Amino acid sequence: MFLLSLARIFRFAFQSFLRNIWLSLVTITIIVMTIFSLTILILVNVVTDQAVSSIKSKVDISLYFEAQTKEEIVIDTKDQISKIDHVKNIEYVSAAVALERFKATHSQDSLIQDAVDEMGENPLGPVLVVKADEMNNYPLILKNIKDFKIDEVVKEIDYDDHQLIIQKIELISDKIKQFGLFLSITFTLISLLVVFNTIRVGIYVHRDEVNIMKLVGASNWFIRGPFLVESILYAIFGCLIFWIIFYIAIGFINPLVSGFFADINFNLISYVLHNFWYIFGFELVAVILLNIVSSAFALGRHLKV
Amino acid sequence: MIYFKNINKKYPPDTLALNDVNLHIKPGEFVSIVGQSGTGKTTLIKLLIAEEKPTKGKIIVGGWDITDIPGRHVPILRRQIGVVFQDYKLLPKKTVMENVAFALQVAGETNVKIEKIVPQVLKIVGLEEKGKRFPEQLSGGEQQRVSIARSLVHRPKILVADEPTGNLDSINTREIIDLLQKINELGTTILLVTHNREVVNALRKRVITLEAGAVISDQEKGKYIL
Ligand SMILES: Nc1ncnc2c1ncn2[C@@H]1O[C@H](COP(=O)(O)OP(=O)(O)O)[C@@H](O)[C@H]1O
Ligand SMILES: [Mg+2]
Repeated sequence: MFLLSLARIFRFAFQSFLRNIWLSLVTITIIVMTIFSLTILILVNVVTDQAVSSIKSKVDISLYFEAQTKEEIVIDTKDQISKIDHVKNIEYVSAAVALERFKATHSQDSLIQDAVDEMGENPLGPVLVVKADEMNNYPLILKNIKDFKIDEVVKEIDYDDHQLIIQKIELISDKIKQFGLFLSITFTLISLLVVFNTIRVGIYVHRDEVNIMKLVGASNWFIRGPFLVESILYAIFGCLIFWIIFYIAIGFINPLVSGFFADINFNLISYVLHNFWYIFGFELVAVILLNIVSSAFALGRHLKV
Repeated sequence: MIYFKNINKKYPPDTLALNDVNLHIKPGEFVSIVGQSGTGKTTLIKLLIAEEKPTKGKIIVGGWDITDIPGRHVPILRRQIGVVFQDYKLLPKKTVMENVAFALQVAGETNVKIEKIVPQVLKIVGLEEKGKRFPEQLSGGEQQRVSIARSLVHRPKILVADEPTGNLDSINTREIIDLLQKINELGTTILLVTHNREVVNALRKRVITLEAGAVISDQEKGKYIL
């Protein structure tokens, strides 16, 4: 009995959907745009978070020791630093390894390669790379290290917090997020209105049916059900259509975007594909709720028996 | 069967459509309600099917006090009261059978039951041969009979007809009234709202006359007195 009624409600909903096919298409288009702006907002969030955290992971304090510094001294310094609060990790790079890395990074530059080879003995000293548990703690750690009075053995303490880049990224991403939010809110409001209007038109077109249903004792839910289902259909179709388009578009965007993100080692496409069901599910649920709200308003008192 | 007790109905801002109406209609009666236009006949019916609520007074249908009936119970009430109107209220894109079946579908009846009941009620109104036609392929009288068939699908105890013959010529009117009498003889209480003097006089049944929202006459085997 319940399933039978549900089946009939779905049939009525589909009939209504098809009867006003153009209106249905306009409604779906608006919903697609809403989902588009929502997706942009989500992805911009993800991308900038990735960018910032990737840069933050590169931040460290490097202590460059003089060449030929004795290993005990370096180890001793390492032990001292490890006792400082908020130090998460210290990497000991021996002089030999440092040279390897230097050669590796300049493998293209034959001039430098030659120069290094000519020198015969290792011009580089060992390095300690200090990582803090949090970004904010670097200044404090740096101050502590400087208090150790290790100027004699340490040639240079290198600390770059990439503050400028991070600020820049955050600034740009804030702008994009604001715009995305503005776009999302605008489209959300528009789709609320459009769905409201579509359901109103649906009620108007079906006013005879609705009146007869009331007259012959159809329950409230039977009268409202088809319109609610219709609005949910718009949400489902909107989501599906957007993601089909987006999936096709991704093929074209991929090369462009992957170049852009090369530096931060982040693959947008694989992120999207990996989290597809989360994003899709979130958007679907959000848009369905949205449509239920606006169709509920449209049904309002109008369909009371 | 039906009690109206001290019923007042006021439409905002200040139309007093019914003024202290008291009625008791017994099971199986055939009652004609007459009166000039705008005297509250349709309002009386709207109160009965809970489309409107009385401003004052009490309405009882089959022992059920529907004065303050909650919305979720209204459909149950409406399945017990068949209603037909002057304009038939048929769906033009549905066949006769589909129009009748619609009333059962929206009440959640099974297809098996629908296929059983639809031919039965079409037989009662004498349209079993025309089930596949669309409303526009029928005469006015036939359309009204489809509407009556639809009102019978839930086997209502009460059938209310608001000027059912208003759009019909005298032959079709005669047929509809005969049909209502036949349904009455099968045990259904009938409330017939009409303007038609001949119909009322020929019926020789109870006649309630309304004027300006008040009952001015209520006679067994009455005549059209206006
Ligand atoms: N929904 C309404 N709102 C305001 N006034 C109404 C409404 N329905 C009916 N009326 C008024 O109530 C009075 C009775 O109307 P009605 O019951 O339809 O009379 P009848 O059916 O006897 O012609 C009329 O004066 C009419 O104008
Ligand atoms: Mg009337």
